[in-house]
Amino acid sequence: MEDQPGNKAGGGGDRNAAAGDSSKGHMIPVWFFIGLTLLTYGIMILVTGIHELSHPPATVLAELHAPIWWGAIMAVIGAIYVSIFRPRC
Amino acid sequence: MTYAPAAAAFLLRSLGLPRIPSSIIVAAFLPSPADQATRIMALHPVDFAIIVIYFAMVLGIGFYLKKYTKSGEDFFLAGREMTAWVAGLSFVSANLGTLELLGWAGNAYQYGILAAHWYWVGAIPAMIFLGIVMMPFYYISKTHSVPGYLEMRYGRAASGLSAISFAVMTILMSGVNMFSMALIMKVMLGWNLNFSIWMSSLTVGIYVALGGLFSAIFNEVVQFFLIWFGALLIPILGLIETGGWSGMVARIHQNFPGQDFTHMWRPMAHFADNPMGVQWVGIVFGLGAVLSMGYWTTDFLVVQRVIAAKDVRAAKLAPIIGSFFKMAVPFIVILPGLLGRAVLPFHLAPASSLQPGQHSFDEVLPLMLARYCGPGLLGLGITALIAGFMSGMAGNVSAFATVWTYDIYRPFIRKTAPDPHYVAMGRWCTIIGLLVSIAAAYIVTHFGSLMDYVQALFSFFIAPLFGTVLLGMLWKRATAAGGFWGLLAGTLSSVAMFTLVELDPSKVSLVALSPLAKPLAVDMWRALWSGIICVLVTVIVSLLTKPKPEAELAGLVYGATQLPSEGNLPLVQRPIFWAGVAAAAFLVLQYIFW
Repeated sequence: MEDQPGNKAGGGGDRNAAAGDSSKGHMIPVWFFIGLTLLTYGIMILVTGIHELSHPPATVLAELHAPIWWGAIMAVIGAIYVSIFRPRC
Repeated sequence: MTYAPAAAAFLLRSLGLPRIPSSIIVAAFLPSPADQATRIMALHPVDFAIIVIYFAMVLGIGFYLKKYTKSGEDFFLAGREMTAWVAGLSFVSANLGTLELLGWAGNAYQYGILAAHWYWVGAIPAMIFLGIVMMPFYYISKTHSVPGYLEMRYGRAASGLSAISFAVMTILMSGVNMFSMALIMKVMLGWNLNFSIWMSSLTVGIYVALGGLFSAIFNEVVQFFLIWFGALLIPILGLIETGGWSGMVARIHQNFPGQDFTHMWRPMAHFADNPMGVQWVGIVFGLGAVLSMGYWTTDFLVVQRVIAAKDVRAAKLAPIIGSFFKMAVPFIVILPGLLGRAVLPFHLAPASSLQPGQHSFDEVLPLMLARYCGPGLLGLGITALIAGFMSGMAGNVSAFATVWTYDIYRPFIRKTAPDPHYVAMGRWCTIIGLLVSIAAAYIVTHFGSLMDYVQALFSFFIAPLFGTVLLGMLWKRATAAGGFWGLLAGTLSSVAMFTLVELDPSKVSLVALSPLAKPLAVDMWRALWSGIICVLVTVIVSLLTKPKPEAELAGLVYGATQLPSEGNLPLVQRPIFWAGVAAAAFLVLQYIFW
């Protein structure tokens, strides 16, 4: 058969697995974009949550301060992704 | 976020229409005071910042990927270079549109946990079947699309019928989704309909036209994460408020005594035992064996993501990876609907019988979002909904561009042209397809009842197409005439059943075997009958006509194709192993929520 597992089925050189594998290519992995987005949003939501400590919103369970821990979780996951998949020269 | 009015003005000028003052155009994109007064929630500056960053990021990804999108294979198939994880997440994300999120949360409120059947028995077996049985043939045949496979297997007649119906329906569905999303933004945020339609669709058009399927898939994976992070807090906080699953069930029983909303199979013995008016035969055979198989294995919108995988193993693994995430989606879609029954201080109603000040079933997710999420989290939740819309829209547009260019334009209009010509055609028809979708959205705005018909039209083709493709892959004796007439007969029978019920609603008991059947139940039975008719006609006509020589079936049909060996791969790297794990997890879920 033409296609065996592990073979590439189309052109594109080694930029390919760039979509998912940072070690192979020139293209920035998609995981880096995900990390950047989560990190940015996580920080924004965390800062908003800290601000809400003195100005609580009129939502149910506001006393749980969800923006603080949810923002922190997003920021940490985002930072890990950015760190692992950042573009390298 | 001001390019929508500018783009509208440019389009009007390009069409040679009389010049309209820019102040009038801008005013057409501004929210009305009435919409602002009746909106469910208001955004804060941080929420707007989150939404603006999202738009900037998806456009940035499109511009970045343009330089990697040079050939037709790059533009239409993302170079066939996606890893199993990227293809798998994109496969699920393309299906996770805004309507999917809001509509199924609304269905969960209306029908209870029965709605989860569409995520489990209505998806998981089909995804596993696609990965293990069908994907090798799609991949080995090197087809660029599902109609492309039909052309190789059955010839141009069946392929043309499938391609044209897919192209028309995809673009109409895209318009319907666009209108629905704009309506939701109007109800939720008081946004102007024109603003929502043009802003989101132009953004999708730009990034797909720039980076093709590369761009669509990249953004779908990012959107997948955003949808989860944006929606996941609702069930978490909802379960905290109700004191866990048992607390939620107790509250539902207290609010709606005598009704069962939390069991999936127990109320399936008789039509009258559940609010959907269906019993287990319809769910198992209509939904599980035909309707879901048709959607997940032959709808090119989702299959295209898997065809873009980098090798056969990745192509087989991608839908199986996707199945694990699909199994988890009820947590962010079905559970909020159930929680709405438990915690909302008022009752929701069908959209068709709303009283002033009342909310519809489909608004349950935004209502729950507004209940728990303040500034920041609200912006993230709205971004998740916009991301859902964009991933579905990008799926429609990129699939349309491929089918139009490769399955209609190339075989029927311009057979031989250099590759860059087809790439340019793909880019143009991305934009043109988008504009037609926008036009469809405005038609639906004025003729709302059309929406139901367009959604029904799409379902006409799905079930018969599954029968045609499956017989093509597994039965060497199936012929070109059998494939074409089977597909046509299945589609026409579906149209006939739909028309019959529309003209005389009492005939619902003929199609769905019960006068109690609700539209979702009728869909299942119609799919089952049309699938059976397609298979019967294909078999009969094939037996009466001359088959293809076996040599021409290599790479297309089971028994005439040498399937690639997985060599000495360890068990945990084999798709069949993970398919088994997914199947076991699926069965455990059925048992837990029986």
